[in-house]
Parts: sequence; C-alpha cells; structure tokens
Amino acid sequence: MNAPGKPPGGGRAPVYAIVGNPNCGKSTLFNALTGLKQKVGNYPGVTVEKKVGIAYSQHGQPLTVIDLPGTYSLAARSPDEAVTRDVLLGRRTDTPQPDRILCIVDATNLERNLYLVHQILDLGRPVILVLNMMDLAVRGGLDVRVARLEHALGIPVISCEAVNNKGLIELKLAMSRPDLPLSRHAWDVPAAIAPAVAELQASLAANEGKSPLIARAEALLLLTDQDSVRVAGSTPLNPRTAEILRIWQKRWAEQGMDWAGILVGSRYDAIGVLAADAVRAGAPTGRTASDKIDSVVTHPVWGWLVLIAVMTLIFLSIFTLAEYPMDWIGVQVAALANWVKGVMPPGDLRDLITDGAIAGVGTIVTFLPQILILFFFIGLLENTGYMARAAFIMDRLMSRVGLNGKSFIPLLSSYACAIPGIMATRTIEDPKDRLTTILVAPLMSCSARLPVYLLMIAALVPGDRVPLATKVGLMLLMYGLGTGGAFGFAWLFKRTLLKGAPPLMIMELPPYRLPRLKDVVLHMIERAGLFLKRAGTVILGISIVLWFLTAYPKGPGGVSAIDHSFAGQAGHAIEPLIKPIGFDWRIGIGLISSFAAREVFVSSTAVVFSVQNFDADHANADITPLRTALRNAHWPDGRPLFTPLVCLSLMIYYVFAMQCMSTIAVVRRETNGWKWPIFQTLYMTGTAWVLSFIVYQAGRGFGF
Amino acid sequence: MSSSLQTITALAIVALTTGWLLWRAFAKRKAGCGGGCGCPAAEIKATLKPKT
Repeated sequence: MNAPGKPPGGGRAPVYAIVGNPNCGKSTLFNALTGLKQKVGNYPGVTVEKKVGIAYSQHGQPLTVIDLPGTYSLAARSPDEAVTRDVLLGRRTDTPQPDRILCIVDATNLERNLYLVHQILDLGRPVILVLNMMDLAVRGGLDVRVARLEHALGIPVISCEAVNNKGLIELKLAMSRPDLPLSRHAWDVPAAIAPAVAELQASLAANEGKSPLIARAEALLLLTDQDSVRVAGSTPLNPRTAEILRIWQKRWAEQGMDWAGILVGSRYDAIGVLAADAVRAGAPTGRTASDKIDSVVTHPVWGWLVLIAVMTLIFLSIFTLAEYPMDWIGVQVAALANWVKGVMPPGDLRDLITDGAIAGVGTIVTFLPQILILFFFIGLLENTGYMARAAFIMDRLMSRVGLNGKSFIPLLSSYACAIPGIMATRTIEDPKDRLTTILVAPLMSCSARLPVYLLMIAALVPGDRVPLATKVGLMLLMYGLGTGGAFGFAWLFKRTLLKGAPPLMIMELPPYRLPRLKDVVLHMIERAGLFLKRAGTVILGISIVLWFLTAYPKGPGGVSAIDHSFAGQAGHAIEPLIKPIGFDWRIGIGLISSFAAREVFVSSTAVVFSVQNFDADHANADITPLRTALRNAHWPDGRPLFTPLVCLSLMIYYVFAMQCMSTIAVVRRETNGWKWPIFQTLYMTGTAWVLSFIVYQAGRGFGF
Repeated sequence: MSSSLQTITALAIVALTTGWLLWRAFAKRKAGCGGGCGCPAAEIKATLKPKT
C-alpha cells in the first residue's frame, strides 16, 4: 500500500474518487475535469454506477477520476450507495481503492453534507474538499469561511462553481500536488462505544487483512447501522468479527442503549461545531424565487395543472415543430430511393436497397426531429429542477398504489428508454419496491414507441391532415394509459406478489436553475446519435433480412409474392392469434420483427407494404408514402385493414406489450435470473392482447 | 449489372447481415455491463492496472 498522501507506486496514474451527496454536482465536476459527457441533471439519482475518466494535472500527468453515485452516508441502504461504499473501502475487484478523494459538497447545505465528509475523513486517505454552488450560497446570504474550514480540517478546501467551470484551475492545482496532507480533524468516539470500535478494528485488521484506518472506518460503519449484513455487503464478516459484534450488540441491547444513535449523534455534534465556525448565515432573505415558484408548482391542485400543461406543450411542440423537417426528410428519402431506381436496372439488389434498406431505415429516420424535440424538453425539465417537483406532486398518487417515491425518477427515465430507467432503480433501498418498479417501468411509453404511435395516429384519422387536437389528445391518452397501467400493476404487485410496508419518500427539492443550453443540446445530440446508430445498425440489418423474408421464396414465374414468402408464412401462422384483436398477417410480420425493438414495427411495415406496392405495379415501382399505403391496405374481403379501431387497438397493444429484447436482457441482469423477465414479458404481452381484444371487440360491437 | 448477379449479391448481403445479427444477439457480453453502466473503456482500464 502507498503511504498516505504520496502518489501511488507502480507508476500508475493516481486514482481520484469523486464523492458527495446526491445532486451536489459530482457528475458536472467529473465532466468538467475529464472532458467527458456523462449525463447530468438537476435531481438526485442521475448516477447509479461508477463512471471512470481521465483528467490531466497541471503538469500534464494523467489522473484517473471515478465518479461515484451520490450518498448521504457510507452506511449504504441502496445498491447505488453500496457501489460508493465498496469502492471507497476497496472491496471492488474491478476498481482499485482510490488513492485520493474529492469530496464535493453543496455549499448551501454545508452541515448536512459534512456528515459524509466526516465519514470519508475516517478512511485515512488524502481528501480535497470542494465547496460547490458557492454562487447560490452567496445569493442565499451565507458566508462560507473557506479558510476557517481549511484550518479546522487540515485539508485543501476549494470554492467552486462546477457548472460555470469556476474554481477548476485551483482544484487541478490541488489535485496535482504530489503530497496532499491527511486531515488533522479528530473526533472522539463516545466512551461507551470506543472499546467496541477498538476490538472490531483489531479483528478486522487481524482476520481480514484490512489496513488499520480502513478497519476502523469499517468498525464504525458496522456500529452505525443496525443491520451488519447490509454493511458487510457481498463480503461476509469473518466469524470472529461477527462474534465480537454480536456480543457488544447483545450487551447494549440489554442495557437499552441505542448505540447507532449515540454514534451518529456524536458525529453530528462534531460537525455542528465545524459548521458553526465555518458558516455565517446572513440576514434572513425571506422567500426565495424557488420558494415562490414551488408554491404554485407543488400545489395540490395547481401543481397537477402545471404538469398537464407542460406535457401538453411538449406534445404540441413535437407535432407542430417537427412537421416541416419530417416532411423534408421524407422527400429526401423518397428522392434517394427514386434515384437508385433510376440508375440501377431492375433486380434483387435494387429491391433490397430501395424496398429493404431505404424503406426501412428512411422511415425510421423521418421520426428523428420528433425524437430530438422530446429530448430537448426532457433536458430542459431536468436542468431546471422541475423534474424533482413533478416527482413531489406524483408522490401522493404513487404512495397510494404502494410505489416508493424514489420510483419516480426511474419511471420518468423510462419515458426516454426503459433501460436507464431500470438501472436507475438501484437508488431504491427496499428490494420489493425496487422489483416492483423494475416490473412496471417498461409500461411507461418510451421514445421507441413514439414512431409507432405517430404512424398509427397518421393512419387513424381519415383526411389528409389529422387535426392537431386529435393528435395531441391521442398521444396524451397513450402516455396516460402507460402511466396508469404502471400504477395499476404496481398496486396489484404490492398487494400480492411483493407485499411490503408502505414506503416513505424523503426527497430533496433542488433549487431552480436556469437551464444550461449546452447540457441540454449535448444530451439531445447524444440521444439522436443513439437513435441514428440503431437505425444504421440493428434496424438496417433487420430491414435487409426482412426484405429477404418478404421476397423469398419467389412466387410462380420468379415474381415475389409476399403471401408465399417466409415472412408471409410466419404472419399467416400467427394470424389466428391476432385476428381477434383486429390484426392481419401483415401486421403480424411487424409484431414479430419488432420484438427486437418497438420502432422496428414502422420499418417492417414500410418494407412489407413497399413489397406489396411493388407487386401491384412492378413496372413503375415507387416508394408510396407509408401512411397512404396503410390506408390502401385491405382484408381479402375488401374491408379496409387500418380502420381507426384497428389503429387504436394496435397503439394499445404497443403501450402494454413487452416488445424489446434489450429491456428483457437488462431486467435479467438487474434481477439476477430469468424468472422475473419471463414473468414480465408474459404479464405485459398478455395484458396488451386482452386490452386490445376488449377495445377491438367492444368497438366492433358499437359498430365502428 | 445482370439480374442474376444482382440476386447473388443481394443474397450474399442478406447472409452476411443475418450472421452479424445472430452474432450480435448471442455474443457473450462481459458481466455487469448492459451498455450504459459506465464500465471504464479499455484504455482507461489499462491505466488502472499497476505497471510492472
């Protein structure tokens, strides 16, 4: 082991860990130091795994920086907090124990943030304390006396505004120091507990090979949390250590002593003295702007109205602003296909390019403007701090159905994509609450469903132009159905499979901030990049294979006939299952292929109906706009296929069905087995079929 | 390009694409990474290992 304060041996780059409370700006600082673009947001729980990057010292030397999930204490209660604890205690085999620690604190809440700092100082590693959000502290009338804090702790203390890149040079200078001092701050463990700490420390050092300071920090953690198994995590305690702990806990229990409370109280006493000396509160400033906005935005009635208005505005923008760029992309895609048809003689390769690749990928790419607009608004809401308010007003509803308040952020993230949403459930302490959230998160309408909804809305209403109010209303209905479905199933699971105590939510509302356009645009570009990457890889691949499956085997005389094709046969095979919900075999092809990813339905439909178009007029084949092609599709008896009722049934199917292999893979990983992903796929797809059946058959009964 | 050459080329592209999609679906992924968990990139991992 390296001597504390000295650079690590072995010639490797020093490893810095960034730790701090949730939403204090760790990822913003990480991005500023490393030049990376990790997701940041003005709400807690954005980072749920460690992120690693490289920063450079003032002398150009590489420094490895690990961004860790936020936590209020090293006594971890949720999987993401356990990551932080385990990395800092050197328990992770995939990550070296950090040589040095950057403790980032929110200067506007110094006393509360110092609890974690206090625990970190126990680890005996060089620490740099970064006071972030100093601008907000000053604006709030706080006088944070940096020099006093530095003197009291004996470590470098740097003032910083990570969002504005202020204080970074000073921080890099401190990080570049070859010998950082160890903290000289000491606190007295209460006398009643000190012998137990010493005994546990000795056992951890002797039996588990821990260094003396890490052994002491672990001993304090074992006594801070009543649940020693939770503290030990995946590394079970040595029998001797466990025995010492059990004897002491039994003795204290007989004496009626709350050892954990005494230990935590003693720490807070020491922190109180530090904070009282370091922070001087100015004259009361009255209600802040954040308070005034919150009086409306978190109001039991106005809050809901604001939320509905915000959602309506987002969908209105998606439809109105995206119209022209979508039309433009559509024209370019059609022009490209026509150009290929003009320069190539007829044949399979030409058909593969035009009816497979261009029809499949081009149709998906048309939806790019709407995806960009959606993520622009999500970025704005995250950056300003409104997301946390939305969580706050949703909490009452969520607690009624038994969902943990911390479920809101994972559910909200799932509107973009269920995968980060499911990963964000790591912030939830209770395993049953976490599993419930994982099971219902894919019901929130993700951005991959957007192209399906948009296509169906376009096909649903007769006439050239669908009224804007209808589009927005239907879109709100689909999002409402998904959200309502998630809440309904959470209610059901919490009362049957995953019974548990009613959850309690404690959530910090961050101050409102002006959105940083750079962050919003970067996030938007990142999502657009992912969307285009999928379009250019998986969707292109599936479109090519699907073209083959719809073109082969050839019909009589070498003319392709989708009816006889492999895809046609598969579609016909499942038609008896989907006919009761209004779908024919061609829609069945879309359902099968979109099991890879929901948006593939649109590209599959484009491929299937382009092929049909080719069959009808193969002398002058052209890319018919998909919407018109859908309107022209008929059942064999001449009835139109895509009636408003079928479009509605299809949208409802996509709201509920588990049509995403990547999500299934992530659920398998997060639940450590196949049981829950299989259950989830069955219950979601089963619900989708039943609801579509009810809607379709009831609609038919009413004469639609 | 003749019609038969177009057919052969198209079928070759389809075969390659199918192979790639199957490889992608069944390729063994390293444990603990679903593609967004923040695992360090290979070049960063190299810096985490002590140099001998």
